[in-house]
Amino acid sequence: METLAFLAQGFAVATQPEFLLLALIGCAVGTLIGALPGLGPVNGVALMIPLAFNFGLDPTAALILLVSVYYGCMYGGRISSIVLNIPGDEPAMMTTLDGYPMALKGRGGEALGLSAVASFVGATIATIGLTLFAPLLVDLAIKFGPAEYFALFLLAFATIGGVTSGSFTKSFIAACLGLLLGTVGIDPVSSVARYTFGTFELYDGIDFIVALVGLFAISECLVFLEQRHGADKPHIKLGSAWPGMKASLSCKGTIGRGSLIGFVSGVLPGAGASLGSFLSYMLEKRWLGAKGDFGNGDPRGVAAPEAGNNAAAGGALIPMLSLGIPGSGTTAILLALLLSMNITPGPLLFAQQPEMVWGLVAALFIGNIMLLVLNVPLVGLFARVLQAPSWLLMPMVVLIAFVGVYSLNNSPFDLYMMLAFGVLGYVLRKLEIPTVPVVLGLLLGGQMEFNLRRAMSISGGDWSILVNSGISIGIYAFAATLIVAGAVYAMMLKRRLA
Amino acid sequence: MPSPLTTRLGLPLLALGLGVSTSASALPIDECIAPADPGGGWDFTCRSVGKLLTDLELTDGSVQVTNMPGGVGAVAFSNVASKRADDSNLIVATSTVGMTQIAQGRYPGGAETMRWLGMLGTDVGVILVDDESEYESLEQLLEAIVADPTSVAMAGSSGAGGWDHIRALMLAKAAGLPGDQVGALRWVQFDGGGPAVTQMMGNHVDVVSTDLGEVAGFIESGDVRVLAVMSDDPLPEPFDELPTAVSQGYDVTGYNWRGFYTGGEVSDEDYASMVEDLENLYASEEWKDVAAQNGLVPLWRGGDDFSSFVEESIQRVEAISREIGVIQ
Amino acid sequence: MSQMSDLDAHQHRRPAQVGDRLAGAVLLVLALGAWWHSHSFVTGFMQPVGPGAFPRLVSLPLAALSAYLILRPGFNERWPDRAGLARQLAVLLLLAAYAGMLEPLGFVPATLACAIVLTRLFGAAWGQALIAGTGLALGLYALFEFALGMPLPDVPWWGGGH
Repeated sequence: METLAFLAQGFAVATQPEFLLLALIGCAVGTLIGALPGLGPVNGVALMIPLAFNFGLDPTAALILLVSVYYGCMYGGRISSIVLNIPGDEPAMMTTLDGYPMALKGRGGEALGLSAVASFVGATIATIGLTLFAPLLVDLAIKFGPAEYFALFLLAFATIGGVTSGSFTKSFIAACLGLLLGTVGIDPVSSVARYTFGTFELYDGIDFIVALVGLFAISECLVFLEQRHGADKPHIKLGSAWPGMKASLSCKGTIGRGSLIGFVSGVLPGAGASLGSFLSYMLEKRWLGAKGDFGNGDPRGVAAPEAGNNAAAGGALIPMLSLGIPGSGTTAILLALLLSMNITPGPLLFAQQPEMVWGLVAALFIGNIMLLVLNVPLVGLFARVLQAPSWLLMPMVVLIAFVGVYSLNNSPFDLYMMLAFGVLGYVLRKLEIPTVPVVLGLLLGGQMEFNLRRAMSISGGDWSILVNSGISIGIYAFAATLIVAGAVYAMMLKRRLA
Repeated sequence: MPSPLTTRLGLPLLALGLGVSTSASALPIDECIAPADPGGGWDFTCRSVGKLLTDLELTDGSVQVTNMPGGVGAVAFSNVASKRADDSNLIVATSTVGMTQIAQGRYPGGAETMRWLGMLGTDVGVILVDDESEYESLEQLLEAIVADPTSVAMAGSSGAGGWDHIRALMLAKAAGLPGDQVGALRWVQFDGGGPAVTQMMGNHVDVVSTDLGEVAGFIESGDVRVLAVMSDDPLPEPFDELPTAVSQGYDVTGYNWRGFYTGGEVSDEDYASMVEDLENLYASEEWKDVAAQNGLVPLWRGGDDFSSFVEESIQRVEAISREIGVIQ
Repeated sequence: MSQMSDLDAHQHRRPAQVGDRLAGAVLLVLALGAWWHSHSFVTGFMQPVGPGAFPRLVSLPLAALSAYLILRPGFNERWPDRAGLARQLAVLLLLAAYAGMLEPLGFVPATLACAIVLTRLFGAAWGQALIAGTGLALGLYALFEFALGMPLPDVPWWGGGH
């Protein structure tokens, strides 16, 4: 019941007019960004972070804004999937399978309405889960010493293979690259400059916001430039969204199952929203077997992945907030935001910053309702934005990235750095080396190293301290299990694709 | 190279300056560099002093706080030395922690690189254990350390050889720990006094040495036991009950003053007016309130007096560091 | 299973002997360089684990994985053709020039020029580029300078306008 009291307190925080306004702005902007082909929550949140900083928002406000953008993007991602057959982001991929066929049959509006409800239910179930489960981890907090934290970071990297569906080798290469980049700058323990090669601007390390915007926003533009894009886009009759809302009632089983599966895969560190939507779609297809018309515009094929990916988005907030381990690329970016605002997510966050955490949870509930309400009347408008010419949208993205990053430190060096990371991100993508682990490495490397060195200081240089407690051993065992599970999953996927 | 900002603000402010009687400043302070991330002691110093400079109308408009973390102040130090040596609108927060870095040669330059403006107050070191710890007194703790230096893991917010660490080592030496045993004592660095105390409450470390201001909340809530404060005399309320190390027979003190420097090429005239601004701020009631709320004891040293104090402290810390073995 | 192939967002995957091997080689050199360079970091006073240990701990698996990548290359997405590459290069050069010109020229002129050329490079006709670029530059200026209250670099030769 303590949880309910905290939640009530959270609602008191989140219903302050300025926070409501921020949530509304975040939801609208997020839906827009998510709807743009190629731009998903990772890009959206990455783009908004410099802005949030420059706004001078306090951490609670910034977090509410960005999480609203995050949820909004998850909602918006389905719009381009259904209307254009281009997933706004990876988790929205499954939605194209039945969403686009529905749109081709003139039932696009119905698909959009249905997926809005499915998204709402999924996200709400996940938020309830977050409310119930996250505080349970708090009691563990004080038992976490440097050795246990080190194990936790290792867990984050061990499970990284699941964040991305690509090859294990390449995921770990990316993680190592990120960790190595994270050591650039003055070592906080010994004040020794590492890998700076006398460049003054590097003394403070690589600013991960700069790296992020480069890796996601700039590289996206480079991908876009590969092909010459004409202005003509398919014109699709949408139809009304209302039948879809009604249809959602007949899909309630699908939506419920999808939400639960999505939530669980979101909570597992390293699994994330893509797995959530994939599993819910596949399971639903199995479940209904021949009764469904999957792949040809079955409404349940829209409802399941949408419930799944939105639930996973909410579930991914649990390990991020309570353990400091991001379960997805986007939560990694949210983690970056918190760290740079001097808030360290982790077992102690709920004890130290209850107002912020519960305000955030309440804001999620409110944001969900806002998104549903926004989505019903505005879905046509959002879909129309997709018809806006890309020669306008892409330069806008680039310029916002530029001005946002420049304003962080008023430093042209940061802009060159961002471009360099843009090129790096692009090359990595072409090589099918995922970029998310690079960000994670850059992000978590510092604390991972610091905790390793702290543990060694405590033990006086005895490495056995790393496996000296039940908690650490448990974490390592869990990591090993996830790696094996991930390897099996990857093998299954490979066999299917072959 | 004068920043475009100063030249831009210069003219109108010269006119305005005539009307502001409390300040003789021609180029008022409008930026404070906190050489750390938001949230720490230097950031607090900049933010509170910047706000007071504005509130007390010692400067026109607001004072911008720039966070420039890295190398325990080395990044900001080298930035000011190389790019902003004559910016008389700029102050940089520093403290004994910064002095320690200079004394150990960890900054790209010595004290003479900068002009030292003044200190406004001082924090004082504390030695803490968990409220359920086996150590009831400083003597008990120090005896255990002398008997087996590897038996105790100490933590604080500075690195090994930093000010928090040195203060604790000075106590251990006073208790009779031989110089060649110093290296056996374990030191763990955390991101601040708060995290260090939390880890101590979880039994991951045994003792915390840090500034009182960083852990005042834990002391008041009774979660920790204070074995010693490192001041000459007992502190004012509400910390008047805490025993000093001196009163327990160990003649060791460890203050951490908070002050400011500016670039080495600022003119004598501008320097004098900046010192005057800070002294006016120090004299205000508002500063006394802010200091008290944050566990600082107001204490003023300014201008040449402060510069020679800085020189002396650096020499003293250098001597101690050499003695303990932090530097060869 | 017919839709399973749609699952693969990267419809233009290619086996990548050259790309992956090249990347593996570059990363291997990077890992070895990092390893070698880490020995120059001086371990400070009373640190059981010095500043060089963690970079070495990371460069080890990086080297091993890169070597594996050289031996067993995987798949790549299709690399851009010459025209695509030219467009990307042009945009990157433009953006680098923009970054360099932002302070010397001031925000509005630099952004104006960059935005017009940028929209053009993204496929707009000249007329559209002129209108969209101008709108973008002025819109961003208004957003940041006035709505968000963040100062952007002024045009220097307007000198002391305040």
